[in-house]
Amino acid sequence: MLEGFGPIVRKDLRLELRSGESTVALLSLSTLILVVMVLVFGPGGARRAEVAAGALWLALIFAGTMGSTRALVAERETGCIRALLLSPVEPGTIYAAKLSVAMIFMAEAGAGVLLILVLFFNLEFGRALLSLIPVFLLGILGLAALCTLLATVSGRVRGGAMLLPVLVVPLFIPALIAGSKASAAVLSGQPLGSVITWIKLLCAFDVLFVAAGYLLFEHVILED
Amino acid sequence: MADVLLQAQRVAKFFGDRPVLHALDFSARGGEAAVIVGRNGVGKSTLIRVLCGLARPSAGRLLLFGREPTTLAAPEFRRIGVLLHQTLLYPNLSARENLEFYSRIFGIVDCAAHALRWLERVGLSRAAEQPVTALSRGMEQRLAIARAMLADPDLILLDEPFAALDADGAALVTALIREALARSAAVIFTAHSPLEIMGVDLGLFKLEGGALSPFKEDGRRGPLRSLLRRL
Repeated sequence: MLEGFGPIVRKDLRLELRSGESTVALLSLSTLILVVMVLVFGPGGARRAEVAAGALWLALIFAGTMGSTRALVAERETGCIRALLLSPVEPGTIYAAKLSVAMIFMAEAGAGVLLILVLFFNLEFGRALLSLIPVFLLGILGLAALCTLLATVSGRVRGGAMLLPVLVVPLFIPALIAGSKASAAVLSGQPLGSVITWIKLLCAFDVLFVAAGYLLFEHVILED
Repeated sequence: MADVLLQAQRVAKFFGDRPVLHALDFSARGGEAAVIVGRNGVGKSTLIRVLCGLARPSAGRLLLFGREPTTLAAPEFRRIGVLLHQTLLYPNLSARENLEFYSRIFGIVDCAAHALRWLERVGLSRAAEQPVTALSRGMEQRLAIARAMLADPDLILLDEPFAALDADGAALVTALIREALARSAAVIFTAHSPLEIMGVDLGLFKLEGGALSPFKEDGRRGPLRSLLRRL
């Protein structure tokens, strides 16, 4: 069922290693957003955990929408997506590969963002930061699923890259609330078990958008 | 008689309100070759995209191997080879990496050796490690043709395969078309002017005003036709 998944992912990662386009876009944009957040709210204060969690998600959502779907957008620009659609690879598998690549780019940028976050907000490397990892991974899975599907839709219109955040952000709000609340809680020292409701919401969001993307990709990618 | 591999029944295509193709009837059997001739902008590329199942017809019915393209099982796409205006090659991958990648997703065994064989076949062995961005337009076209023919497809649709090719390149394409026909593949391609390939019974069609009709000889020979007659 996932025949062709591995070669597509490996090819996208190889292309990224050569150009670095997505990594540079994601890291520079997310760093900029973090710097702005630190300048506006200050690094310390009683609500440090909440501000740090908000900054993390804000950086991820905007950098993610701008940079993570670069592989898919480039594939459209060169027309290579047509060759994939005319190959024995299932459209759902192409979606799964593109989603995985977007998630890898986001995770890579997220690791950088977390490091900067620790430095900017004087957070401690420790259990709180480790507890943040599952929340963070669930969040980027949902965001990558949504971005990959909507980049396919926005790629059909002129200036679609600018349209993507407008489409993604409203739909991502439930996951954004869950992710930022759970992140703030674990960063302030609460155990992961105390945010299980938010984690369940993130899981539900992921299942919904991964399944929707897998099933709808074939219909939105085909030409009129 | 060979199976009908492609059948277009009253196929039409509109872009918005603008009709590009009108109620076309067309079919191709294994071992048959057809060339569709037409001026620039007449809809040849659109026709190829519709016939390979990449673009949906606005009206009518298209059958590939007896089934509608949307109901074709993914492995059936191994049987279709398509060359479009865009070369469908990754600019930052080398010629070898491109063919290896496509061999892999087409499930070809020993894809590295297969890619090298095809590079040699299209005369690009020396340029194997060059990125596509460094290739000339003619070399890129050769590589694109290799990509389309890589899996020995049964149905081959080529949009202006002779574009940007020199005499050797044109000879290469005619040889590949002959080989494909010899193994009972159907080959449909487009061209600006009518042409002949020695030893090949080529169906000539003219696309004009969105309608497809058998091409009638008017005594004129374009430079491409004269060249191919010699090959």
